[in-house]
Parts: sequence; C-alpha cells; structure tokens
Amino acid sequence: MIEQEHLIDLQHICKDFDGTTVLQDINLYIRRKEFVTLLGPSGCGKTTTLRIIGGFEYPSSGTVLFEGKDIGVLPPYKRKVNTIFQKYALFPHYNVFDNIAFGLKIAKLPAAEIRQRVEGMLELVNLKGYGRRSVDQLSGGQQQRVAIARALVNKPQVLLLDEPLGALDLKLRKDMQLELKRMQQALGITFLYVTHDQEEALTMSDTVVVMRDGEILQIGDPKSVYDEPINAFVADFIGESNIMHGMMVHDELVRFSGFNFPCVDEGFGQNQPVDVVVRPEDIMIVGEDIGQISGVVQSVLFKGVHYEMMIDAGETVFKVHSTIMQPQGSRVGLNIVPYNIHIMQPMTLPIDMEGGGSES
Amino acid sequence: MSQSLNLPGWVFWLLGLMLLGMVLLALVAVRRTNGIKRSYFSAPYTLWMVLFTVVPVLLIAYYSLTDANGAFTLDNFKNFWDSNYSVNQLYAQMGPEYAVLIQRGTVNIGILAYSLWMALLCTVICLALGYPAAYFMADREIKIGSTLVVLFIIPMWMNFLLRTVAWMTLLEDQGLINGLLKALGLHGAQLMYNDGAVLLGMVYNFLPFMVFPIYTSLTKMDSRLLEAAQDLGADHLRTFWRVTAPLSVPGVISGISMVFMPSVTTFFIPRILGGGNTMMFGDLIENRFLTEGNWNVGSALSLIMMILILISLSVLRKADPEGEGGGIV
Ligand SMILES: Nc1ncnc2c1ncn2[C@@H]1O[C@H](COP(=O)(O)OP(=O)(O)OP(=O)(O)O)[C@@H](O)[C@H]1O
Ligand SMILES: [Mg+2]
Repeated sequence: MIEQEHLIDLQHICKDFDGTTVLQDINLYIRRKEFVTLLGPSGCGKTTTLRIIGGFEYPSSGTVLFEGKDIGVLPPYKRKVNTIFQKYALFPHYNVFDNIAFGLKIAKLPAAEIRQRVEGMLELVNLKGYGRRSVDQLSGGQQQRVAIARALVNKPQVLLLDEPLGALDLKLRKDMQLELKRMQQALGITFLYVTHDQEEALTMSDTVVVMRDGEILQIGDPKSVYDEPINAFVADFIGESNIMHGMMVHDELVRFSGFNFPCVDEGFGQNQPVDVVVRPEDIMIVGEDIGQISGVVQSVLFKGVHYEMMIDAGETVFKVHSTIMQPQGSRVGLNIVPYNIHIMQPMTLPIDMEGGGSES
Repeated sequence: MSQSLNLPGWVFWLLGLMLLGMVLLALVAVRRTNGIKRSYFSAPYTLWMVLFTVVPVLLIAYYSLTDANGAFTLDNFKNFWDSNYSVNQLYAQMGPEYAVLIQRGTVNIGILAYSLWMALLCTVICLALGYPAAYFMADREIKIGSTLVVLFIIPMWMNFLLRTVAWMTLLEDQGLINGLLKALGLHGAQLMYNDGAVLLGMVYNFLPFMVFPIYTSLTKMDSRLLEAAQDLGADHLRTFWRVTAPLSVPGVISGISMVFMPSVTTFFIPRILGGGNTMMFGDLIENRFLTEGNWNVGSALSLIMMILILISLSVLRKADPEGEGGGIV
C-alpha cells in the first residue's frame, strides 16, 4: 500500500544557525502513504528537519521537493502539509469545534460542510460531543486528539508529527500509538513522525531514520535497523545491546571478550579491529561446561516478561535476557549463535563500551 | 470662603505611626514565613488601600453631600445641572478668556462633554498609533524592537509636567518649529492654544500607557500559535486577524482603560498647551478646589467623574470577560 512515488525528497539539506551546523547533508525521500519516523537523541536535528518541510525554517543549502517540485521558498500556508506541534499549540481563544474548523474556515468551505467534517473528525478521535468545550478544559490526551483532528480535517497529503505523545503517560501513549497508526492507515496519509523513543519508532513505522548530530546514520525498516544496526551507536540507541571492541581474525571468525566466536560476516579483512554487538536476548544460557564461554551471575532483575541478568565472563560483563532465572552467584555457560553476532566498522565516536551494553 | 482640612496634630502622628507599623509588618513578613498565618502578610497593603483609597473616597462623598457649614444637602449635585449658577461663578473666577466656553451655556455639562470627547479622541489616536508600535516592538524578527522599547521608556523617566512644558517650547509662536519654518522662509503658524495642541500633549503623555499593555500581551503570546495558524493555511493577514488580534484583546482593553481614565481627568495640559482657551473636567475640579476653595462642589464633581469612570470600566469589563486586563479593569 505504500506507493513507490516519492512525495517528499530532501536533497543535500544543510542548516546552520549563526554558524553552528545543525543539519549536515540530509538526504531522505518519503513515499506516499509511508510512515517514516525520525529517531535520535535530543538536539540531533529532528524538529529542525520537520520545520524545514513545514516551511518554518529554510535550509541553508539543499533542495526540498514536494511531488517533484521545489518548494524551498514556499511559505507554510501554501504547503499541502499539516503539522502537529510538539506541544499541540491549540488556539486558547477558540473552543474545540473552532480549533478543528480553523483550516476549513480559512479555506472558505461552506458552513454545512465544515460542520459535517468537524463532527466526523470529533467522532474519529473519540471526542464526540466535546465541540463546545474550551480547550483548556481538556486533559492532555484530549488536547492531543484535538491537535490531531485539527490537522487531519484538512486532509493533508503529509502530516508532520513532532513528538506528539511526549507529554502523555505510558498507558495513554500506547493507546494513542495504536490509534494514530490506525488513522494513518485508514486515511492513507503520509506520516513523518518524530520521537526519541525507540520503542515507539519500532512499533509504528514503516521506515525508521536514525539521526545523530545533524546527520542520518541509518535508514531502514524497523526490523533491519534493529537486526542489522550499521554501527554501535545505532545498536546502542535501538534496543539494548552488549557492545564490545573486537577483532576480525578472518572471515567468519571474530575475537572478543578473550575468545574466538564463529560468525557470518565476511569482508572485514584479517586481524582488523571491529565493533561487536550482541542483543541480550540472543545470548543463550546453557550448562556450565557446554557453553562457548562461562561466567558468574552477578545480579538478577525481574523485568516483567523476562529476567535481566548481568553475567561476569572475565573480560566482559554480559547483559542477558532470559525467561528462566539463574540464581545469583551461580556459574553458567553462554552460547551465541553465529547469526546473532553483529560485526560493524569501529566507531570513532565515543560511546559507552563497557561490556554489558547500556540502557537505551 | 476658603476652606481646608483643619486636622489636629495627633492625626498626623497617628498616620505616621500606622505607616511605621506597616513597614515593620512588611519586614516581619519578609523574614518569617512560618508560624504566622500567611494572610496576615497582606495587612500592610490592605491598610495602605484603606488609608489612601477608601478614606479619601469617603471624605469626598462626605464633602459632596454637605454644604460649607457641614449640613446635609444635595445642592452640589443639583447645581451641576444648573448652568446659570456655574456660568456666573466661573465668569467671576476666570474672566473673559473663558467667554467662548461660557457662551456655550451649560458650562459643567459642556466641559464634561468636551473632556469625554477629547479623551475618546486621545484614546482612539493612542490605539491607532500604539498598536502598531507595540506590534513591531514585540516582533522578534525585527532587530530594532528592543531599541524601540527603550526609546519609549526613557521619556517616562521624566515628570509629565516637564514633558508638556517641553512641547510648549517647540510649539510656541517663537518656538523651535515656528523658528524653523521662518528660517525656511515660510509663514509661521499658530500651533498652540487650540484643541489640536491639547490633544497632541495628551497623546504624547498617555501613549506609553497604551503601548506597554499591548506589548506585554503580544510578547506573552505563544509564537507557535502563529506557526499553527500558518500551518493551517492562514497567510500573515489572516493569522493576524484570527489569532494575534483576539489574543491581544486583554492588552488593548487594559491600554484603553489606562489611557481613557487619565485622559478624562486631564488637567494642566489644556492650561499649558491650550493656553486657557479650553478647559477640561480635571481643570474644572481643580478650579473648584483650589481657586474657588469650594470643597463641596469640587467633591461633587469628583464623585460624578468617578462614577463615569466606573461605568466606562464596567463596560470595558464586559468586553473582556476573562478579566485579563492586566488587573486594571
Ligand atoms: N532557532 C534556532 N536557533 C539556534 N539554534 C537552534 C534553533 N533551533 C534549533 N537549534 C539548535 O539546533 C539543534 C537541533 O535542534 P532540534 O530542535 O532540531 O533538535 P531535536 O532533535 O528536535 O531535539 P529534541 O528531541 O530535544 O526535540 C539543537 O542543538 C538546537 O539547539
Ligand atoms: Mg524537537
């Protein structure tokens, strides 16, 4: 259902504010009806990218194409794009109905049609009967839904969403994630979504764009970004990982944590330094003497579905997820199948490399 | 028949002691925040209000309802409508330069109407000049905005009488502007001693009171609302009318009341720039109190003024139901 046509094309976008580079050579296309998520740590340029597409900032260099046409200098009100702002920005002097009707009134639609479309929208976002309410009488989640309705009612080709769920509690967040995804599919609208919550990005998106310091590190569908992170930063940012410095002995054999492990990667050369990433759930706990390596259980944490154990294997402390608990202090064997060892070019960027990975 | 408050000396001692008490209480309030009910801390300000607002108003009410001997009477108000009384009194007081006004017949009403009219004009002009000024000052994209703010504030550091007198030296027959005109070989013009000059002086003095409340309401506004409006298809003009303007209404209303109120009660400016050809209600009240020494009639006029102001404020309050008028309305 995602069409092949590129709806938006960002080509070599750079942006600097007073000499500080905020975006560096951003290249990204968004296809019609695609759900694309920009993911990255705070300050990496997600909002700036969105604002350039919305027309609130102009790129210092580079081209923004919309349906193949350059819209670089088009003011926001002439773009077929609507935005849900990081903090909703509802009009305090209008009630819910008039907030949602704003765009339609600007477009000078007949009153009857406005009424019908706004009422339809209120129903879609589960706010039927709230039209006369003042917006500051609404809860955070309701305001959120008014903001969504206000944008969607204009039937935009593209909806830009800047951390729309950031202010909500976990439960509401999960509900709204599903609701947004449902609306996106039902209405066939292209979504460009911004978040720094990797789980949100993985559950909702067709395509995830991982950014850091104004650069795009990796673009791919959630599974490929999770399973084949391009470098240790992406691995660290998406999901939990054990990240280790290692050495490629030769094709299909890598050395880390003081042992040699068979792997599936080729072409890194011989005796070359690499970064090695292993997901905590990909390490199997086996009997002490049949593991590739062995270690002592340092700590055990119950995480709901699984246990998280820190296992000291001498050179490295591994973080391991398993549904079966091993008692603290016990000695266990660890196995990693070749397929689950991810080898990547070493990063020059500083990240936390101390064994047991890090929480993300 | 001159009349004044012959208060015994102990009243002043009492006032002084109360003032001292207020200062002490305020100091205690600042230093200790527990152990004492917090509402006590507002006592100094309540006392201040009572002393300098409630008591004077009551005094005015008392004087307006009594005659020179302290006996109850409604004559002070009745006489307000009785033009003959006022005409004669005024004529005797001020001589022929008030002839024009006096020929209009109903002096009190005439002066009142004239004051209201001038105040209205002044308010409208201040709004027309002040809104754009505030708008540009609040616009973050315009770099000179903050310079403008300073330029507006600096003259306010000076006493308004001085500022008005300064205008005199500009507008006089031998003043700067006429000097310049003559130097250019043009005819000098009569710039002072007319309504225009009075209005100019009023607008000049009261304009900042219009600009700052509007400026505040504009800078308080969330700039993302403007982006949201543009995002939804509104160009700059429509963004202004649908978002900026309605959200600055509280500022406008507080600006209007801050300009209109002192405008109606303006005095001194007409005397300096109007050269005695015009008289406003404030001058009339001042005249009754100080020149004529009639506290009773003066108080009645003041009370009428206050009631008019209260009425206009409540009308304004209707226009701003949320009462965000900066605490003025
Ligand atoms: N108007 C501006 N002037 C100067 N610097 C800016 C401006 N807007 C953003 N920046 C800078 O650009 C960088 C990227 O900001 P941006 O808002 O795009 O980050 P973000 O990825 O959205 O972060 P967050 O997740 O915290 O919202 C930041 O370092 C920020 O300080
Ligand atoms: Mg942001």
